[in-house]
Amino acid sequence: MDKTTSKPPNQYIAALKRSNMTAITIILILMILLAGFSSEHFLDEYNLKALTRDLAFIGMIGIGQALLLLIGELDLSVGKIASLCGVIAGMLMVTFGFNPYFSLAAALMLGVCLGALNGLIITKLRLNSMVVTIGMAGVYGGLTLVLTRGRAVTGIPEVIHVLGKGHLGPVPVPFVFTIAVLIAVLFLVKKTKTGRYIYAIGNSKEAARILGIKVDRVRILNYAIMGFISALAGILYVARLGSSQASVGDSWPMNSIAASVIGGVALTGGVGNPAGALVGAAIISVIQNMIVLKGVSVYWQSAVSGFVVVAAISFGSISAMLRDRKQRKMKIETLKQ
Amino acid sequence: MPVLEARDLSKRFPGVVALNSVDISFEAGRIHCVIGENGAGKSTLIKCLTGVYKPDAGEIFICGVKAEYGHDAAFNKVAYVQQEIELFSHMSVAENLFMPFGKSGIKGLIHQSRLEKMAGPVLERFRINVRPDELVKDISTSSQQLLQIARAIVNDNYEVLMLDEPTTSLTTDDTRVLFEIIREIKQAGKAVIFISHKLEEIFELGDEITILRNGEKIAFSLLSDIDIPEVITKMTGRAIDQHEAFRSAKVTDEILMEVEHLTGERFTDVSFSLKRGEILGFYGLVGAGRTELMQAIFGYLPIYTGDIKVLGLKWKKGDTNYSVRHGFIYLPEERKKYGILPMLSIRENVSISVLDKIKSTFGISAKQENNLADEVINFYEIKTTDAEKAIQFLSGGNQQKVIIGRAMICRPTILVFDEPTKGIDVGTKAEIYRMMKKLAEENNVGIILISSEMEEIRRCANRIIVLYEGRKVEEFDAKANREEILSAVIGARKHLSAAGVGRLTILPDKETDADG
Repeated sequence: MDKTTSKPPNQYIAALKRSNMTAITIILILMILLAGFSSEHFLDEYNLKALTRDLAFIGMIGIGQALLLLIGELDLSVGKIASLCGVIAGMLMVTFGFNPYFSLAAALMLGVCLGALNGLIITKLRLNSMVVTIGMAGVYGGLTLVLTRGRAVTGIPEVIHVLGKGHLGPVPVPFVFTIAVLIAVLFLVKKTKTGRYIYAIGNSKEAARILGIKVDRVRILNYAIMGFISALAGILYVARLGSSQASVGDSWPMNSIAASVIGGVALTGGVGNPAGALVGAAIISVIQNMIVLKGVSVYWQSAVSGFVVVAAISFGSISAMLRDRKQRKMKIETLKQ
Repeated sequence: MPVLEARDLSKRFPGVVALNSVDISFEAGRIHCVIGENGAGKSTLIKCLTGVYKPDAGEIFICGVKAEYGHDAAFNKVAYVQQEIELFSHMSVAENLFMPFGKSGIKGLIHQSRLEKMAGPVLERFRINVRPDELVKDISTSSQQLLQIARAIVNDNYEVLMLDEPTTSLTTDDTRVLFEIIREIKQAGKAVIFISHKLEEIFELGDEITILRNGEKIAFSLLSDIDIPEVITKMTGRAIDQHEAFRSAKVTDEILMEVEHLTGERFTDVSFSLKRGEILGFYGLVGAGRTELMQAIFGYLPIYTGDIKVLGLKWKKGDTNYSVRHGFIYLPEERKKYGILPMLSIRENVSISVLDKIKSTFGISAKQENNLADEVINFYEIKTTDAEKAIQFLSGGNQQKVIIGRAMICRPTILVFDEPTKGIDVGTKAEIYRMMKKLAEENNVGIILISSEMEEIRRCANRIIVLYEGRKVEEFDAKANREEILSAVIGARKHLSAAGVGRLTILPDKETDADG
């Protein structure tokens, strides 16, 4: 797409130019600067830690959601998987007195199974991911209510509180997990065969099958990974609160999709970088943080943050439209020659 | 005075001259047929005359008024019915007939009952035997085709009716009905443009004929002054370089694949064998089941009964992964949907099938992958600025080369080319034929070539199998001539139409856009 210049093209600069993450990262930096100037509390250590801790959860789920968007699908049951796994982990520890680490591992396994179940239903019955995961969100959320009867599971052992409340140096532990998830997912999509197949499937499921790719297997794997990440976020949240609550994760489906889309992952699949979802999540978190710092009335907060998310998504779409127009002009010019 | 006239019309696409200063005029009360082979420029001519394309040079006059591209008004007098059926399938017959309502003179609120009342006489005139409130998806294909024609002229505001292959999905009876209607329209003093490959229909219906070849007008004649063989000669031409043969010269006796009594949804009881180093052609009408047969063998579509053996091995059915791993690769006809991964780069499109082979300790090796992509680009002379360009921005011919390159680095033993030159210009066509020949001769690949182009099959295939309605009709060797093969197709039709299936069709080439 780039016109060749007289200078020898530097591959890193070329890659930066080509990446749709560059613009969004610049916007994030500008927003942080703006926030820093406009609010004296924004750059406080306490505020930044709180912000990063919030960001960790949206970011983590967003990275998983990006994987699904890459194959042109999505999972709206992420929040309910998180709360169910959190509640199960809590009950295993508190009610049944299992070893806390064993309980966490069991909850993670459960997350993988629930995600894979979503994937199996969607692929084997050839259903639409959105409809199935809305339905399954109802099932998982209902099970959580049945198990807890609406009450929080309290008395989570102190040993695991560090996972939610602790810090590694200045960095909140949940954010460390988010970075770990990001590295693992980036390795998957950039360096492995499966990762390349994810992009191929997002481009064309038919073409992928003709290439001999086991399409359904890759899709189910993606749902299982999403389930794992949801469960991880769920138990980290339990550790953060010190109790398991059914309402955890209600805003995660929409925020994770918004984070991915803002980060340049196409809803139609096949293009984007999961790292973009983390940048997108950071933008959402900064906005939400600013809304609080600026003392916007609680009644307005949801409306304002919703508006800002739609505006942020539109930005990506408008820049795509501009890109199309530029391409059209270039093509017309080559035709004239 | 002609109703519709084009003077010195030219249209160029990158790499192809689709129309080269064509003069053509259509008179009121005449049925003017236009014929030409695949890529002759028919579609481009239609698109210029209906104001879809902007011609590079030349002028169009409609009822004596110069029609400028971009100004709809004049072009509204040209009613155009396209080849494919494009109706709103979940809406009623009446709604389809008058959509968009404003153009049909229907103003204000829309009453279903009024629409249905208005639809009655139109349906009667076209002998479409359906109720106005039926959904389009529930009526027969034949009725849909007639409905599409009725829709084009329902507002009676036209001077020229342009029909592009209108009979391809009509039954014999409905074809009769359509011809009666076309004659009525002619009587009413309108000009009719009839585009078809079916010579017998042209001679039955038409008054005059224009023959196009390679974007040029070769001849214009009254149909009373010309006969079928002459039309065929003029249409196909005898340019020397277009007849170079590309058959494999190194066919061995080793049987690569044996298919026995294979039956699936669109094919019945097909048996054949493929030898190492051979190019085996599959000819037939569009929709004869050739693509479905090959996709089923490849594992993409289900097989009901029958056996496949490859190199004596019993073949696993319904598993594309198994096929690819065992060296059987299928190159699909619809490149855009089944072939390319449009948004990925050339590099990623090339390497996707061989990711196992370019691994380093830390996953996929970027260096090896880049080398591989560069090799393919250089070897197949793919025209691109670099390997990072998304494949959707390449021309059709270059996309096809990337796909062939990708298949080749898997070192296949059996390769299926499904309409490999569809929408590809003449120069690139020859390159692809040369590639196939080389693969068969030097790499000992068994090649299956599916094509609807008679010349392509005759120039490339060592043996030719003709399919009709999913059944194998006959098998020819390379010496078979055009008439023999066509008569196999027609013979099959006669045989089957005696049993009440099928219609007469000659020269079933499908017209595609010259956008290669």
